[in-house]
Amino acid sequence: MVSVVARAGAAALRSFENRKPVLLRRRLFASAPRCSSLQPPDVPLLADAARISLSEKEVEDFAPKIRQVIDWFGQLQAVDLVSVQPSFRADTELNADLREDSPETFQNREAMLAEVPNYDSPYIKVPKVINKE
Amino acid sequence: MASIFFQGIRSNQLIVYPLAHFSRIQTAVYCTLQRPQGQARPQEVSFQEQRKVQQTSSQTTTRKPLEQNMQGYEAIIGIETHVQLSTVTKAFCSCPYFYGSPPNTTICPVCMGLPGTLPVLNSKVVDFAVKLALALNCELSVTSKFDRKQYFYPDLPKGYQISQFDIPIATKGFIDLDLPVEFGGGHKRFGITRVHMEEDAGKLLHSDSGSYSHVDLNRAGVPLLEIVSEPDMRSGLEAAEYAAELQRLVRYLGVSNGNMQEGSLRCDVNVSIRPRGQLELGTKVEIKNMNSFSAMNRAIDYEISRQFLLHSQGQSDQIVQETRLWEEGYQKTVTMRKKEGLADYRYFPEPDLPEVVVTEDYIENIRSSLPELPELKRRRYEKMGLSMQDVLFLADDISVANFFDSTLENGAEAKLAANWIMGDIAAYLKNEHLSIDEVKLTPQELAELISSIKGGIISGKIGKEILFELITKGGTVQKIIEEKDLVQIVDPGAIEAMVDKILEENPKQLQQYRGGKTKLQGFFAGQVMKESKGKANPTLLNKILSEKLNANSK
Repeated sequence: MVSVVARAGAAALRSFENRKPVLLRRRLFASAPRCSSLQPPDVPLLADAARISLSEKEVEDFAPKIRQVIDWFGQLQAVDLVSVQPSFRADTELNADLREDSPETFQNREAMLAEVPNYDSPYIKVPKVINKE
Repeated sequence: MASIFFQGIRSNQLIVYPLAHFSRIQTAVYCTLQRPQGQARPQEVSFQEQRKVQQTSSQTTTRKPLEQNMQGYEAIIGIETHVQLSTVTKAFCSCPYFYGSPPNTTICPVCMGLPGTLPVLNSKVVDFAVKLALALNCELSVTSKFDRKQYFYPDLPKGYQISQFDIPIATKGFIDLDLPVEFGGGHKRFGITRVHMEEDAGKLLHSDSGSYSHVDLNRAGVPLLEIVSEPDMRSGLEAAEYAAELQRLVRYLGVSNGNMQEGSLRCDVNVSIRPRGQLELGTKVEIKNMNSFSAMNRAIDYEISRQFLLHSQGQSDQIVQETRLWEEGYQKTVTMRKKEGLADYRYFPEPDLPEVVVTEDYIENIRSSLPELPELKRRRYEKMGLSMQDVLFLADDISVANFFDSTLENGAEAKLAANWIMGDIAAYLKNEHLSIDEVKLTPQELAELISSIKGGIISGKIGKEILFELITKGGTVQKIIEEKDLVQIVDPGAIEAMVDKILEENPKQLQQYRGGKTKLQGFFAGQVMKESKGKANPTLLNKILSEKLNANSK
């Protein structure tokens, strides 16, 4: 969710920079976060999805802060994007860095496997998880 | 802001079976995470329900088209196929991949998802994706991007899968196929919604007892192409043939070995039914764990019956959106744990990978390197006057088709070449578990064999012997004929002499023949053949033999 906003932010910023001087978007400079039309985040749900455990106090603390960040970006809702081409990514280089299909064996496999907390050679041992709930 | 996103997925709003591809933007209420692997413990279905469904499904074990039993309902089927690409290295790192390697040997920090690693896209993956997309008549996205599909599971090292969400590399294609002759034949065209690139997860092996499982990350990061079909199929047969044609296609193109048993071709099916004429779709049910095309066929037909039965009992509300597993042993689908709502994968663009750009030149290069695709081959063979049965057999395997084409180039007639390939040669290959490229017979020699028989130099029977020699030991037809002195005897005088000799040597049988046992002509013919070491021309032999036998009985 956040990075979709970030994408939109980058694109909007670019169009903002390229705008004709006449069109002033005053509303973008509002200092106080406006009442956003975006839904407030469900922090317990987000925490669960991200597998981060929060105490009730932490949820109380974080919820308004997260909301503030979202609303701050949410100001971009006001930008008129009808004549702007959608961009997929924020970078401007169109250079796809592709790799040749030639094999290389990683030489230090033992070091990686030595770091596995529960190694039941040759497998990585994990708690039994059937369906993620 | 929302409009940017929706512009991106506008083209995808017609997808009927997204199967949790799309998460809602606004934070919605999702509780569960559906992990797409068929290793869950199925719920026990009540005995009564089992028996009822079995009674209905017994009708579907015959090869009748299912529509006959459906009385006003039609089935809507869509298929998601994952094809494991046969690149040398993985999608985002240079680890080699071999099916069956010892566990956790083809791994590196990138595919293990260790901190600080970055993915680098394998160029072959794009080549193969474009190849397949062109073969599926798709529109290619000039630029596409990767996204992170986030969920937690032990076989997913990074905690996300690099996939393509809203801007896949290809969309809006179709595939043509022919239904097998024994099921009524006919052409079918099924739509392809999209093709996109993604990476595979590792392998999770559950222990039978105990509270632990084992993870093997050899497969993590192997490139996959996901092909999503339009919900155009209407029966288990059509679905199975669609999957078989995809397999044929990926093998033709050389992008995958397409083995369902090995897991390099995996199909998940979505089935729903609705009254004919109704626009609204019924509740769709996903089916997993089908390991062969025939299993797909049976699983889908079973599921259609199950849903139809519930409808006919007025219990259509019992059909819920869920994932069911096909139980090969019981020949039925059973519930996995019911999921509550769609999974929230929190997709966002993969920041570690640049856009994938395909230029016109690049696309045309790949297009010109495509082999003749199965559909075109089938139409070409049809025009040659071959029967549909022959056409489907010859076009099924690209090596066989190439062998057949070469044989024709060397001057052989289509029907004769087809007969040899589909008959004696196919039988040998099947017995010895070989492919046509692995035997010593060459297309030139097959053509030579055919023309030798046609020209009367050798008999058909001798031809079969020579064929066996050519397959197992190679060599040329000419040489074998010379070395073994196999030239057919067509001189009437020589044959007459042999017939006389045999008749003299077998007076008892001759008497029996005169007495009415006309079947003994076969016995005499066999003796003359033996005498001539198989070289007597059969037609001439029987003609002369008949004359002599009947003449003497005057």
